[in-house]
Amino acid sequence: MKTAAFPELASMAFRNLGRHRVKTAVTVTAVAISVALYIFIDGWLLGMNLDSKRNIVAFEAGAARIQSKAWFAKKDELPMYESFGGHEALSARLDEAGFDTAPRFLFEGTLLSRERSAPIAFIAMDPGREAKLLRWQDYVASGRAPVPGRFEIALGSMAAGKLRVDLPARPDAAEFEAMLAAAADADEAVFVRGLYLDAPPDRVAPAEFRRLKPVLAAMPGGKDVLRAYELPWDGDAWRLRKDARPAAFGELAAALRAAGFDFQPRHTLRPDASRTDRDRLWAILAASGRMDVRISTVIDIKELPARVDASKFEAELLPALRSDDRALASRAYPADPASGDRALAEADPGRRDRLLRAMLDAGFAPAVRHVNQLIDAVVVGTVDSPNPKTNGNVAYMPSDALQDEAGMMLEGRITELLVRAKGADDTALPDPGESPRAVKAALGGALPAGLEVYGWLDGVEDYIAASRGDEVSTRVMVGLLFVLSFIGIANTMLMAILERSKETGMLRALGMTGGQVLAVYVMEAAAIGLLGSAIGVAAGCLVNVPMVAYGIDYSGMLENMGTDYGYRVVAFFRSAWNPPVIAASALVATLVSGLMAIPPTLRALKVPVTESLRFE
Amino acid sequence: MTVVETTGLSKDYLTNGLTVHALRGVSLSFARGDFAAVAGPSGSGKSTFLHLVGCLDEPSAGTIAIEGEDVASLGRRDQALLRRSRIGFIFQAYNLIPVLSALENVTLPLVLLGESRTAARSDAERALAEVGLEGMGNRRPKEMSGGQQQRVAIARALVKKPSLILADEPTANLDSATGRDILELMLALNRDEGTTFIFSTHDRMVMDYARRLIVLKDGLVDSETGS
Repeated sequence: MKTAAFPELASMAFRNLGRHRVKTAVTVTAVAISVALYIFIDGWLLGMNLDSKRNIVAFEAGAARIQSKAWFAKKDELPMYESFGGHEALSARLDEAGFDTAPRFLFEGTLLSRERSAPIAFIAMDPGREAKLLRWQDYVASGRAPVPGRFEIALGSMAAGKLRVDLPARPDAAEFEAMLAAAADADEAVFVRGLYLDAPPDRVAPAEFRRLKPVLAAMPGGKDVLRAYELPWDGDAWRLRKDARPAAFGELAAALRAAGFDFQPRHTLRPDASRTDRDRLWAILAASGRMDVRISTVIDIKELPARVDASKFEAELLPALRSDDRALASRAYPADPASGDRALAEADPGRRDRLLRAMLDAGFAPAVRHVNQLIDAVVVGTVDSPNPKTNGNVAYMPSDALQDEAGMMLEGRITELLVRAKGADDTALPDPGESPRAVKAALGGALPAGLEVYGWLDGVEDYIAASRGDEVSTRVMVGLLFVLSFIGIANTMLMAILERSKETGMLRALGMTGGQVLAVYVMEAAAIGLLGSAIGVAAGCLVNVPMVAYGIDYSGMLENMGTDYGYRVVAFFRSAWNPPVIAASALVATLVSGLMAIPPTLRALKVPVTESLRFE
Repeated sequence: MTVVETTGLSKDYLTNGLTVHALRGVSLSFARGDFAAVAGPSGSGKSTFLHLVGCLDEPSAGTIAIEGEDVASLGRRDQALLRRSRIGFIFQAYNLIPVLSALENVTLPLVLLGESRTAARSDAERALAEVGLEGMGNRRPKEMSGGQQQRVAIARALVKKPSLILADEPTANLDSATGRDILELMLALNRDEGTTFIFSTHDRMVMDYARRLIVLKDGLVDSETGS
């Protein structure tokens, strides 16, 4: 193409857009919506993933974790019998190499409060060392963090709420009376009463609400009450909105009473209650025994069984072992001539260890002995961090209190050692210097066989699955939108090219080559894409600004989803800027739009010029 | 000097399974400065003849030479370049590009030839003035009368100074007074520039203006008068 002709051809292409303005506007809008949605969703996913990753590092995993390979393989079961000892040597080595470490012992159990019980994942840890790596202790919302040497628990706030071992945010009448009864004297009772606001009812029956509506509408402050309630589409009653301001609850309750509505008072913890007041309330409730709990768990101990039933030995164990281990097992467990059962006769510690490992790897249940354990403890605080994993059914306990028979018989064993570079920026993701490879290099040859250094993403498959699933499904959805808008462009161009057959014939008669005609139509289609992209980028960025700054509050939704939805984000979905994707989405939309004009133009160019000129 | 020479030019069309012989071995020669009309009844092959000479269609048999160059040996792109540089077209329906102004319509052939925008605009303005449309360059085709549009089409055909102008029924959509004006204009340009004009027509007035008249009938040359 002669370059001098290009501006003329481009000018012609752009002017052609004005021929059917409505059609052009509809197509441009379709592209704009696709681009805007893509930018919004990409920013949203990126924000969610960035926050999730930061929160995994800062609240769960550190930069790397040392675990036994056997524990990692069965980590969903939290197999405490796959714990390991001698971690202090590893910690010392890593400390010299510039890493902080935090030992942990994870186990499962049931936490029983005075009223309820719930399955809980317990994390036995060293609060001091844990604080160097992780930030959950900064988010003890009520009460305090557990102190070393005591049977104390910091419990996830959602679990605490379910077990009623927290400061009740909205106690019903009976619970509030019990709280007042827990007060040691009249002064404390006054203090407790003063911490709670009179609140309107959570639900109002539709018939009652209809009756109250005209009365409230006519009285001062009544409209605030009407605004504070909503009827959900699936609801059977008007409900107090989740975003209703507790500070105004007293006025709302008073207005409802003035309108003639008689209801049981529902108390609400003052949102402006100071930390000192909350701690005093915690102490009052703790003194009444509200925070006392009992841990019911099973201590799993790996050891060679003294005797194995003959049929179990033959049918379960031997087929599951490798051939050389089968011979070892047969030698170690000779058959009892009387009963036929197998009795342990191996005394060599090396062979005993090897056989035990083989039994555990084969999943032979008698190789793990179970000891039921009950531990009395007290909940001293609740955790409410930006990572929902810390706020769910999780309990943090000092590991030093659990070392002997009164605890978990840990005897210095741990299930994982968290690692992070000293002084690392905990708002940043780990850098290559904190990778498993770097940690392994820092350990030199000190890492015992059977242990492995895992990356911070290695143990969070639930997040990775959720993230990948969401990414694929949302991108497929937006991709379909793109396809639809491109089909719109293809259709617009097909109609335009067909309609302008005679004109195309004339342009060819004037001496335009096929390439030049193609360029005109491609530029026209690309201009639709460019316009749509420009509007889409502007709209997407406009939506992204508040999404990046404030995000969307979805705390209400989280109550229904619980904490196991994969992402490590609570309360706010916050977006992030992704300039390369913003630019690429606009570029791709423009390019693909342009490409949409190629097939119909090539078809039009196959028609002889004389036929094009005859087209009416 | 011979501008167009056809030898045994034939064109067959397949219509509803039947072969229509639109042209059957037409051999004609047009010299520089010819002002010729190809006439005949509908279906006689006059438009087909013009389209083949203008490289807008492929002949079924025979040869066409434009200024000595055999167009059958040219590919589609080279044919487009030949049309661009040496042939101007004027159509019955004017065929102006509706989104371009009169000036831009006339400028287009020049920019396709690689002329700079400024020079092309200046030449186009001059061409418009020559066809009596001075000061009307900014008008869009839909803002002009049929006669004015045909003048723009003539200016567009002439502006690149081609050796050959092919006019397919140029007066068919015009009233007789306007048609006469247009013919006068083309005749003047033919005299001044020496451009070869070939018309296809069944308009008596065009035939009267032509210095050479070729009558086609059933795809064959029926008669030829003038020189």
